[in-house]
Amino acid sequence: MKNELDPRIHRALDGELDPAALDAGERALVARLDALSRSLSAVPAGRSVAHRVMAAVRRPLATPIQRFRRWVTSPQPITVSLRPVYSLVIAVLLAALLWRTPEGPKPVLGAEEGVAQFVARFPEAHSVAVVGNFNDWRPGATPLSDDDHDGVWDARVILPAGQHEYMFVVDGERWVPDPMAGRYVDDDFGRQNAVLLVRPHRTQQ
Amino acid sequence: MILVPLLLSLAFQQPDGRLEGHVPAAALPGIQAAIAKAVQDSLPTEPLIEKALEGGAKGASADLIVSAVNTEAGRLRGARDLLRHAGAPAPYSARELVSVSIALARGVPEPVVTRVVSAVKDSLPGFALHAVADLQARGFQPDSSADLIIAAVGAGMSAHRLLDVAAAAEREVQRGSTRPQALARIKSILPAVPPQPLPPGAMQGAVRPRKPATP
Amino acid sequence: MTAAGEPSDAEVVAQVLAGDAEAFGVLIARYEGGLLRFAARMMGSRDAAADAVAEGLVRAYRHLGSCRDPARFRTWVYRIVANRCKSHLARRPVGDVSLDDAPPIAAPEHADEGVDRADQLERLERALAMLAPEKREAFVLKHLDGMSYEEMSAVTGARIPTLKMRVHRAREALLAALKEQS
Repeated sequence: MKNELDPRIHRALDGELDPAALDAGERALVARLDALSRSLSAVPAGRSVAHRVMAAVRRPLATPIQRFRRWVTSPQPITVSLRPVYSLVIAVLLAALLWRTPEGPKPVLGAEEGVAQFVARFPEAHSVAVVGNFNDWRPGATPLSDDDHDGVWDARVILPAGQHEYMFVVDGERWVPDPMAGRYVDDDFGRQNAVLLVRPHRTQQ
Repeated sequence: MILVPLLLSLAFQQPDGRLEGHVPAAALPGIQAAIAKAVQDSLPTEPLIEKALEGGAKGASADLIVSAVNTEAGRLRGARDLLRHAGAPAPYSARELVSVSIALARGVPEPVVTRVVSAVKDSLPGFALHAVADLQARGFQPDSSADLIIAAVGAGMSAHRLLDVAAAAEREVQRGSTRPQALARIKSILPAVPPQPLPPGAMQGAVRPRKPATP
Repeated sequence: MTAAGEPSDAEVVAQVLAGDAEAFGVLIARYEGGLLRFAARMMGSRDAAADAVAEGLVRAYRHLGSCRDPARFRTWVYRIVANRCKSHLARRPVGDVSLDDAPPIAAPEHADEGVDRADQLERLERALAMLAPEKREAFVLKHLDGMSYEEMSAVTGARIPTLKMRVHRAREALLAALKEQS
């Protein structure tokens, strides 16, 4: 293409090649692009937005009740398909929003992390754990809890964004695929793993 | 030429610390050989270690575990070849390779995976491929599904939002549209597909899974 | 980025997270200029840029706890604002970027160069505005905001080889645009 520059010029502009290694014509092009960049940089930024931002910073946050009310009355439809199976297992993918609430500090997430919520109904179980490639498939690593003893077990787990394979383990011995996952792959051991997709929490900003 | 494989095999005489005690001892030589070959081929080894640990946790036999690890390695190689063929710029992360591998495992035809990867080659293809696989799992034609997701990418939608596109198409079917109608309707409103709503307080008590550090 | 004696970004972030909301003003003062210039290039409009930057900074405050490496606050907040710009742009019809309220051209240093210099800068501004958004973003971050390719990758989420290609093509397009009109 006639507009292409010699790659050495690009390398010099990227700081990967000493401009002294270029010939005079090439150095002139490097100098020209540097000058163009300086010209473009020397532009006033415009009106400050500090007052707008600090006004929002100083405004008190909505309470959890107000936020929940806003969520419930929002026009977005929510479709939840419940299947009449013995173990009602629901895996809901969440990207985390970091708000301060009276309940206490929130965990700090990396830019490429998100939160997955695992929910499963095992009314007769004594223990339920989620196992997957994010915890070396070890049942003891990520237990679910049923604090009010209603048979619904849950856990919120911070995971790297992307795909993860998992199963539930009930009472340390019964491996149960998640029938509500909606995404499955063969595990090469005669069963199926559910596939979980975790969105990075930063995508909620 | 001979020295490199020799050195690599010597380097992998030591079993990976995460595997010892978690897979049958008889499986270790086969797993180590697969890992050494992956290193030689510049493939990521973490998916292979995970597959071995999965087999150990599920009580699989040594032979089955070694077979599964080699199958996983084959899938990663296939995924890499597909990414190259699709023109995605190297190098390829484990996440990219696994996302292509899982899309194929979920039944998305190879030409469709190639087309989607080509369309999003400037960013990671995982969410786009899963969005196509989600649509296909709900009865949409794979090529038409890929058309919609590629159009969403072209409309400037970010990767994670492609899952919202797939979910929106499914909701259209639940409202009574045929699948072709649903795809056309969603395509017509791109990129203004509503995001899936999030309940508040989701972060409370979230923990990281305990995973032993690699020695 | 900070002068000697001034608190580092990490120190200011810690102060804000400890409850001193007013301290966030320090970070605004530090970065709003660069963010406004960046956003103006991306949006082609100062008003739209101000909206995107204000929204981005408010989001940065609300989610400050999720800034995993406060020493890299700059790339983190740039990423937030870049996403806001993309979100706004995605809602706009595709077409020629209006330069009616584009950023003003810098005053030339010497009066006698004024007309030619201003003309060249105007052509440059137009050429920059005509670039595809991802190339424009890459060129601005590299050459106007002085970011390394690693920082740009953190801001945009794109791979370094991809970013290099975008910057290289942007340079060539800008030079070609100036050449055509001279």
